[in-house]
Order: sequence, then C-alpha cells, then structure tokens
Amino acid sequence: MSRALPTSQHTIGPFFPRTYFGPTDHDLRRRTATAAPSPRGEAIRIAGRVTRAGGEVCVNALLEAWQADAGGHFDHPADPDVGAADPEFLGWGRAATDAGGRYHFLTLLPGGYAEGSHRRAPHVNLQIMASGLMRPVLTTLFFPAFTAENAADPVLAMVPEGRRGLLLAQAEGDSEGLRCFRFDIRLRGDPAEETPFFVE
Amino acid sequence: MRIDSIPPWPEGIEPQVPTEGYAGTFTHTPAVPPIRRPPGRTELTAPRDLAAKLPCGDDNLAVLAPGRMALGQYIHIAGRILDEDARPVPHAVVELWQANAAGRYFHPIDTRDAPLDPDFIGNGRIRTDAEGRFGFFTIRPGAYPVPSKNNWWRPPHVHFSVLGPASLSRLVTQMYFPGDPMNAYDHIFNSVPDAAARERLIARQLPPHEVGLGWLGFVHDIVLRGRAATPEQP
Repeated sequence: MSRALPTSQHTIGPFFPRTYFGPTDHDLRRRTATAAPSPRGEAIRIAGRVTRAGGEVCVNALLEAWQADAGGHFDHPADPDVGAADPEFLGWGRAATDAGGRYHFLTLLPGGYAEGSHRRAPHVNLQIMASGLMRPVLTTLFFPAFTAENAADPVLAMVPEGRRGLLLAQAEGDSEGLRCFRFDIRLRGDPAEETPFFVE
Repeated sequence: MRIDSIPPWPEGIEPQVPTEGYAGTFTHTPAVPPIRRPPGRTELTAPRDLAAKLPCGDDNLAVLAPGRMALGQYIHIAGRILDEDARPVPHAVVELWQANAAGRYFHPIDTRDAPLDPDFIGNGRIRTDAEGRFGFFTIRPGAYPVPSKNNWWRPPHVHFSVLGPASLSRLVTQMYFPGDPMNAYDHIFNSVPDAAARERLIARQLPPHEVGLGWLGFVHDIVLRGRAATPEQP
C-alpha cells in the first residue's frame, strides 16, 4: 500500500463561522437537529470557561466532545458489542465559547467500559481549537463520584498524581432538573493549574 | 471505514509551537508538553453519520442565491480526503470557510475596515463521496493584515475542517494558492518546518482548458492521520 503523509495542522483562527452552528449542536443526546434527546441515561450539563495565560478568556474557541453512551458503548464498528449501543444517542457535540470564554454541553452521563485488561472510567474527550493554538489540544474529563473507577483508569494513571484533580469535573448542583458539572480549561498557565493535555 | 492504527506524526509536519511572529501562540500553547497515550476506543471511534447532525451539501459559496453572485475571481477547489495509506476516506464531513475578495470575514468579530460583500458569506460544508472526493465553488479570498506589531499579512488562504472516521483523524488546516508571493512571509505557513510538508498545503492550479470558462480550477488533497483496518476479503 502506498503511503501518504498527513497534512499539517493549522490554527482554526478567530473566525470559525457562527453560521455553522445549529441550535442543538452542543447536545450530544441528539443525532439530528430535530431528533428528540436519547432518554437512555441521566441527562447532565457540562459547562466551563476556556482561559489562556494570565487567566484571560478565550473567545470563539471551538470545543468538540465525544463520549460513550450511558451503557459504555459506541455506535461504531470498533466497539466489540456495537449492537448494544444506544440507537438514539450521538455522543458528539460542538460548542463555541462566548465573549466570557464560556461553553456548555448537554449529554448523558457516560458509562465506563472494559478495554484490554483495564476498565475505563466514565469520561468525555474534549478537543479544543482556538486562535493562537496551532495544534488543537485534547483532554479528557472525568467525573468526581467514580472514585474507584477513576483510580483504576489507565489514562488518568498516566497523568502525574498531583495534576489528576485538574481532569475531574466539579459537581455544581442542579439546574432545570439536570445535574451540572463544571470543567474549566486552562490552556496555558502555572503547571499546577494548567489543564493536562494528551496526544496520540 | 475503521481506523485501527496511528503512526506518530512524521518529523517536520506539525507546526512549530509557539510560533515565531504569531504572538497569540505564546499565550495559548500549553506550557506543559502533552502526555502521549496509546489510542483507545474513545480515540479510535467517531460518529458514523455526522452528516445527519451537521447538514451537508452547501458547496457553492460563489452564488448566494440566483442572481446574487459574490464579488471576486470565481474558482473551484476539488480534492480527495485520504488516510495515511492513501486510501480515500468516504463520507467525511468537510467544512471550508474563508475571507471575501477584500480579505474580510463574514464574522461579528472581524471588525476590520474593509468591505463586506452582501453576496458572500464564505462557508460551506459537504460530505465526501464513496471515493473520498469533495468540491467547492467559491472565490479567491483576499489577503488581510493581522492586528499585530509586526505588520503581518495573511496570504490568501482557505480554512478546512475535516471530520473523519475516528476522533484522532480530526483535522483543521489551511490551503494556500500557488505562486503567491505572500506565502513566503506568512508566520502560519512557515511554522511547518518541512519544506515538502509546506508545499503540500499549496493547491495545484489546473490548466484552464481542463476546467471550463466559468472558473479557475484548483486541486487539493488532504491526508488525515490514521491507517484503516485491512478490508475483510469476501
């Protein structure tokens, strides 16, 4: 098979079009703009702020979220039990930050899953693209209540112990009947505060 | 299609960060290097039918509505989305956005003193066909100055966002025009260390007789990270 070299990444720039966004793009529970949200799981809200050096907010940053359904499955051939996947849940969403650097997603609390000899704790992958970021950054959000699952998660184990807490969303009570989690993303800052990022 | 492995980025292809001349990269690039992790199921998967969520089919940026033609030089950009085995990526979502002929974006935070074109929005989205092909009608974008202390102008360029078969094949990049003298001065273009990798960001112009009278033709292939699983033999 002939090989091809991957195309270089570039910044998304400041002008990713607002006209691209549909009203439910930030709702991972819906497969289409008009579909009803999947009811198979606990609906939650994930919200936070994206900041850069000095705690300044990032405006018009693009975030994309991807996660397993409430049962820990992906509707994708790479899932060994793809037939068990929620037929209504999309698991993907995108949101742009507003003038205050804020974003939010609506989703279902993801399930964990077995992978090799490990078990992944419930998590949401987030990719962040922004002006000033020549390469997108990838991070993974975990949930605070799953203490035992988080302690056994092989990805969280790769993060230096003192920084693991930065990947835990914070429970922030309820709003309109949904449990809320806060997850701030600090692109650059003091290493004690900067969000841990991953690369594959 | 299913991606099942991902070689590391070959040397010289990833832009150098922070990027000389581009002040924003010094305040946005994480100070701590990213943690290299083996791709797991979350990274090797992606939505199978994202076109249902993100409506596709808007491939003509040059004509806003019948009789409402954008100002500028009409062009067509065609290409294929490929994986690292040079296999076509079918049903990838391809987004393209750009400035108008005067170098201004239709975006509320582009407040530069250059005219907006009432007949040009400047964004489109399509899904690749079974052979990984895409095509857009548009206009050649204008160059524009970046608010900065170093008199930096972006050369004419088109932004591409591609959503492929796996999260790890997600790509955001830019395409440049061949022979534009501004390319040599651009801090973003020149952030890619390898000259051949930079060259691959420049579209190829087709001879006019191969295209037609209405527009100039450009060809530009985009390669996503990842290698597909070997297809099962029937």
